[in-house]
Order: sequence, then structure tokens, then C-alpha cells
Amino acid sequence: MPDRPEPAEPAAPRPRRRVLPEEVIAVVCMAVLALLTLANVVVRYLTDRSFASTEEVSIALMVIMTVAGASAAAARDRHIRIQYLYETGTARRRHRLALLSAVSTAVFFVVFALLSARVVWDEYRYQETSMALGVPRWWYTVWVPALCLAIAARAVGVARRALRGPMPPDHVPAPPVGQDPAGR
Amino acid sequence: MIAAVLFLLFFGLMFLGVPIGVALGVGGAIAIALHNPETMLWGTLAAPQNFYAGIAKYPLLALPMFVLVGCIFDRSGVARRMVDFAIACTGRGPGMLPVVAVLVAMALGGISGSGPANAAAVGGVMIAAMARAGYPAPFSASVVGGAAATDVLIPPSIAFIVYSVMVPGASVPALFSAGILPGVLAGLALIVPAYWLSRLHGLGGAERELPRPPFWRSLREASWGLAAPVLILGGMRAGWFTPTEAAVVAVVYGLFVGMVVHRTIGPRDLWDIFREATEISAVIMLVLGLAAIFAYSVATQGLADPLVDAIRDLGLGSAGTLLLLGVLILVVGMFLDGVSIFMIFLPLLIPLMRLFDWDPVWFGVLLTMLVAVGQFTPPMAVNLMVACRIAGVRIEQTVPWVGWLVVSFVAATLLVAFFPGLALWLPRALGY
Repeated sequence: MPDRPEPAEPAAPRPRRRVLPEEVIAVVCMAVLALLTLANVVVRYLTDRSFASTEEVSIALMVIMTVAGASAAAARDRHIRIQYLYETGTARRRHRLALLSAVSTAVFFVVFALLSARVVWDEYRYQETSMALGVPRWWYTVWVPALCLAIAARAVGVARRALRGPMPPDHVPAPPVGQDPAGR
Repeated sequence: MIAAVLFLLFFGLMFLGVPIGVALGVGGAIAIALHNPETMLWGTLAAPQNFYAGIAKYPLLALPMFVLVGCIFDRSGVARRMVDFAIACTGRGPGMLPVVAVLVAMALGGISGSGPANAAAVGGVMIAAMARAGYPAPFSASVVGGAAATDVLIPPSIAFIVYSVMVPGASVPALFSAGILPGVLAGLALIVPAYWLSRLHGLGGAERELPRPPFWRSLREASWGLAAPVLILGGMRAGWFTPTEAAVVAVVYGLFVGMVVHRTIGPRDLWDIFREATEISAVIMLVLGLAAIFAYSVATQGLADPLVDAIRDLGLGSAGTLLLLGVLILVVGMFLDGVSIFMIFLPLLIPLMRLFDWDPVWFGVLLTMLVAVGQFTPPMAVNLMVACRIAGVRIEQTVPWVGWLVVSFVAATLLVAFFPGLALWLPRALGY
């Protein structure tokens, strides 16, 4: 017996949400992380070899997943924040707070992307290699500045939505909390 | 001066509702720049370096993996089967369903690691069932919100993983085992007032007439779900897996149970599950990375020292300071979620922990209990919010009920504060 409430009309398809490209990146990273870790367990028990040196690949994937997922969360306005002032505010205050939040996110991540790009550039210039596998370090890190720019771009999108008009009354920027009980 | 800029910027932005990670990053980066006026780029290259180092830790991999486990088990249908089994055990009668809600939340807490996800899973089943039995919706929401707060104490727990990554000397297995007894204690602390309130106000009178599920069949149905915590905790205890590996094994097990045994997860649900898991993990880990910038400027510039000195000069002693911190964390916990509290305040709390020579594992359990209270204390309570959304009530309506649960939960926390053995006995007995 299905646990989630059935939609009122079974024939009507559930409205599917738009799939964002950075979401695909994050999901692929998560899936590969799970498979890599699982493979590590299986190989360790079946053979006496270990490919624990893939740890650094896992770590890099985890960082990429974080920044990519953060970009998707920025597009959906779901980052962790204190909502108290927002929720108790008038439409005008909500509008201003939403704008402040989006603009500071955008500005911060543009600057942060530039600084990360500089760090990656140094790694590339000085030909730094990774500890375990000995591959160029920038292979792992170059994704961070790129995806930070994506976060900034998503925040600009939210800011433009806020500028265009007051946020809809039901727009509550909220962190994700697991399964949506209403069913999507 | 720099300290003032850092804290004012950070708290100002955070209070205005800027994402917490951004507030931490802006405050931390500007403090670094002010501190290094002579250096190239004002030393701000330390910001991306600390961000990367803050996330790029292998033990942290347990976090996204346990989030994924939670998302899978949320949809695997084990919650409903555990509820049936729990009802078969407790029997029908006024006051029994709230007890069932707490017990099931605790069992699910042994699989998933975050409170709001637990509230969604338990609330999705229990709130409708409690409404049919005649419990008022605000009461049901309070019980579910409170019950889900035991999740962060009962291993696996996201909060413990974050604490372990940030605090040297507190390993994940030690914290996990230390959380078990306080988690059970917290569960009892919720069961007692929930049962007492139902009897006192004659709630759930219709429950007596509802059918009782057959014991053996519901046990067989629930056994797939009940085996999961055994697999996760037992596998770690037996030394089969590291915490991260245990999580991945639980992912495979959960997918098997959901897709093959209970058939509640179809291939098309996989995308939703993974998408949700990446979103939840990314949102937490982004703050973790940006908090590392903040922690770096606090540590390198000794910004916590004046605070630590001020607290020491209050002369409250170990117990008094602990009480003061407890009250502060409780208040902050009403507005912030637990993991964020750890990421923001641990750089300031670790020096105090050293000063008073508190055991890092016990201190972690205590802090986690305090933030667990905040998860269901109005006005801003993540778990209670989820439960209220399911029950269709406003948070204010829960106040007359949830207050009793909060008081009782705080009492359990005080017990752990004054008897550290409650937390430390099990990890010591297990040799962590």
C-alpha cells in the first residue's frame, strides 16, 4: 500500500518540477559517491586490495556536489536563514529583505568565485599535484569558481524576481526538510 | 575593532534574513581583509582555501550518505509498518497513539539523521491516525514535532557528524554511542507528558474502538524497517564498516526494501530521492564550508579570547557557565536550526570547553540535546513547523501543549548535564 497520499485524480500527472542543470551535476556526484564507497567496501571484503586512494576523488566530488547543489538551492531560494523578520513582515518589508538577501548572496559569490579562481590559477601555474593519485590538483578544484558564479547568477535571478514585484504571499524561503508531505 | 566588525556584520546580516552561509562568509572574509592590510589581496585567498578545506574531509562523507539514507527510508513505507507494529504492542486505548508516535520517531531516528525529515515521515502517518482517534490537531503536531527531536540524539545523527568534524577528540562512533541513552531518556521525557496530557484532557477517546493490528503479521511487516538500525549500528560496532560505509550499506538496503519488498519506490522516484538528498546535504555543507572562513578568522585573530575571558571573569565556575551556555543555546535554538548553531558557535565554545576541561563527547551530546529542544520550541522550530504544516495548524496553536513537552525535555537535558555518565558510560563500555 503506497504511503504517500494519492493525487485526487489518478489520471492527472503530478506536476513535475523543472530540472536544473546544476541539479543533474549534484545528483550524478551523489550517485557516484555512493557507488565508489560501496565498491570500496565490496573490494575490501572480497580481495585484500584496497583502492582507498580514491578517497581524494570522493572528497572532490563531495565539494562539487555541495557547490552545485547550493546553486540549485539558490535558484529555489532554499538556503538556511532566519526567517523571523521575513515571516512577520509586511509585503514591503518582505520585498526589501528578499532583495537584500539575493543581492548580498550574488555579490558575495562573485567575489568568492574570483578568489577561488585565483587559487586554482596558482595550482595550475605551480603544477601542484594531488597527494594520493598524483594528478593535477586543478582538476579537482576548478569546478568551485565556476559553480560559485552559477550561485551568483541564480541569486541575481531571485533578485530580479523580487524587483519585478512583491513576492507572492505564499513565498517562504525555507530550507528543505525532507519529503514534502503534501506530495509534489 | 575587527571583532566588532566581524560580529556586527555577521549577526546583522543573519538577523535580516540573509542566508547564514553568506553572512558567515562576508563577516569572515572582511575580518581577514581588515587584519592583513599589507598582504597581497589582503590575505583573502585564505577564504576559498578554508572553504575547500572545511568541506574536503573524508569523514564528512558520512553526512550526505546518511541524508540519502533518510530520504530513501522516508519513502520506503517503513514508517507506516512500524506504526502498525507499535500499536500491536501497546494496544488501543486513550493516550496510546502519542506513545506510538514517540516510539516510531525513535526507531526511525535509528535510520535517518535529521529531525525535520523524521517529522515529515512520522507526521505523514501519525497525524491523520491521531485525528481519526479524536486527538486535537495542535496536540498531534506538538507530539510529532517533539518526538522527531529525539532523532538528532539517536544515531546516526547529522548533528554528531558535524560536531565530530569540527571538534578534535570526539569521534563519530563515540558520539553515536554516547547519544543512545540520552536519546532514550529524551524519548521517555516526551512519552510521560504526552500520555499524561491525553489522560488528563480525555483525548483520543475514539481510539478504543479502532482495530488492533495482529501482532505477528505486523511484526513481520515491520521487521525490514526495524532491522535497519541494527544493520547500521551493529555493522559499525562489529567493525565491519566505518560510519560512511555503514551509510552506503544502508542506502543499498533501503533501496532494496523500498523497491523490492514494500514496492513503494519506483524507478522514477529515484530522481526525486537523490535530488532531495543533494539539496539537503548541499545546503548544510555550504554553510559548513563558509563557517570555516568565519572560524579561521576567529581562530587566527584570537577573536574568541575576549569572550572567553569575560565568561571566565564572571566566576560562575563550571556548572554555572554550563547553565548560562545552556540558556543561551536554548534561546538561539528557537531561531536557528541545530546544525547551523554548531557551525556558528563551536569556534567560540571550544575554548570554553578546554578552559573547564569538559569532556568533548559529553559536551557534544549536551549541546545536541539543547538544540533538539530548540527544534520544537515555538516560534521558530523546524520540526514543529513541518508537523504543523501536515496537521494544518498554526504554530501558535500548539503552545498550550508543546510547553509541557519542552519542560520535560529540558529536565532530561539537565539530568545528562549533572550525570555525565548517562552519555559517557556506553562509549566507555564499548571502548571508543
